[in-house]
Amino acid sequence: MKQMDGPVKRTIIWIIIILGTIWMLFPFYWAIINSVKAKIDTFNPGAFFPFINFKPSFWAWNKVFGEGDPIKPLINSAVVSTATTGIVLLLGTMAAYALARYRWNIIKSKDLTVWFLSQRVLPPVVVLIPFFIIMMKLHLLDTWRGLTMVYVTFNLPFGVVIMREMFRDIPVELEEAALIDGASDWQVFTRVSLPLAVNGLIATAIIVFAFAWNEALFALTLTSAKAGTMPVYILSCRSTRGVLFNVAAVNTLLAIGPPVLLALTIQRYLVRGLTFGAVKE
Amino acid sequence: MRKGYIKFVFLLPAVMWVLFFTIYPLVDSLRLSFFTYRLGMGVGEFVGFKNYLDLFKSPDFWNACRVMFIYVVVAVSIEMGLGLGFAWVFSREIKGKAFFRTVFTSPLFTTGVAVGYLGVTIFHETGGPINYLLGFIGKQVPWLSSGSWAMVSIILLDVWRWTPFAFIILLAALQSVPEEMYEAASLDTSSELQIFRYISFPTILPAFTIALLLRLIEAFKQFGLIFSLTEGGPGRTTEIYCVLNYRTSIKYFDFGHGSAMAFLLLLVVMVIIIQFFGRMRKIYE
Repeated sequence: MKQMDGPVKRTIIWIIIILGTIWMLFPFYWAIINSVKAKIDTFNPGAFFPFINFKPSFWAWNKVFGEGDPIKPLINSAVVSTATTGIVLLLGTMAAYALARYRWNIIKSKDLTVWFLSQRVLPPVVVLIPFFIIMMKLHLLDTWRGLTMVYVTFNLPFGVVIMREMFRDIPVELEEAALIDGASDWQVFTRVSLPLAVNGLIATAIIVFAFAWNEALFALTLTSAKAGTMPVYILSCRSTRGVLFNVAAVNTLLAIGPPVLLALTIQRYLVRGLTFGAVKE
Repeated sequence: MRKGYIKFVFLLPAVMWVLFFTIYPLVDSLRLSFFTYRLGMGVGEFVGFKNYLDLFKSPDFWNACRVMFIYVVVAVSIEMGLGLGFAWVFSREIKGKAFFRTVFTSPLFTTGVAVGYLGVTIFHETGGPINYLLGFIGKQVPWLSSGSWAMVSIILLDVWRWTPFAFIILLAALQSVPEEMYEAASLDTSSELQIFRYISFPTILPAFTIALLLRLIEAFKQFGLIFSLTEGGPGRTTEIYCVLNYRTSIKYFDFGHGSAMAFLLLLVVMVIIIQFFGRMRKIYE
């Protein structure tokens, strides 16, 4: 909208934006300042400004890492999320490409796509018990493999649906030209289509990574001491440690840091990803 | 549209994976909901609809439904409303828009249980910043020790976590409204509210509906944030559906009742999902 706003209106708009910004950033700010509070300062909620109200200290960071508690869950989360993302990208790009570019006669492409979508929107708690039983029988409880299998199941449909949209954005003429030049379907896929879709694929990868990283229900059910991910670790801190503010803040930052920072880089495809391609920017 | 059998090589691995890992668990879950089954004792006897009837007689079940209903209605309405408001503010020319847009979407990918854990310190009644600031006007709120205030805490935190979702989708929709429509409208009226009411909102209604349906689907799954913020307490006042379902299934290993509970949730969510599919089928054309 390009109409001119009067000064009163502009002021109101800016007040809304500034209040909104404070509100959006406050929890992050609170976590950051608490993570550098010494034990004595954590009992003073009014100490909002480091160097002015209190002297920053790395006591909590040293304590958390000195005891080594978060290292294993961080590794577990990284491995499971990365493996999930890798498998989803591998199987997902192929399926998405098939749905975007080939003619489907018996079941239409859009119906196959909606079927994939249906697997994503079901409440996961519905399959909680069967997965627990399967993993118990296969001796995959508390392993990277078990949790990764579950996360691929939930995220592959998302990957297929969203990457199908990305492939459909690529002009088909480029692929046709390559085919006329004698390239095989597989070569066209790997040498022409994939490189053209790479930005969309990176965005998809980051969203899948964040979904896997943040998942709590299945992590809590299927893993514990050995393969427990960050959400499992956070919940165990909460119940065994009580709430030591600065330690809680360090652990919170370790958990939310990776997905939040990664997601900041994908502004362009965010809306498409979140709406399964329904809303474009 | 190309032909050729290589399309099956592309598609089948993903289809097989999803078929195997979702159809079997779904069928198995439905089957278990008709049996008594506790871990260690194996599948017991077929009891028909008894598990479902037990749930309907259980006050804990109805409490969990009530908590879920309040949470879904209140939190989602506030999130959609605030998201729309912010999107409207951002749909004009603003200095540093890209920066503020990023700020307003930063909570989107935070870990639910970590946000809940941080919430314990934010809503802490003696050491938390909110009660500290309220202290200046002589007020103190029992954020997590009173049942109804605990619900307020959950909703406040959830609104922080999810308003960005509505905001970013609705902003994208508002920005794709063609300029000509505003120009035409501004000949008839200068009231921005009227332009919003009769031009902008009807144009973004499809996007609004998609965002609302997706948010509802997600809200019915709510587990992590509540599980870590209040653990369903105090008492059972904030024990939302999925928390009770998790406890029944995995803490008490009552697989029969747990499965029945899960299927009842599926029935409710199905109503929303079907609406959603109708819209998406047209988009995937």
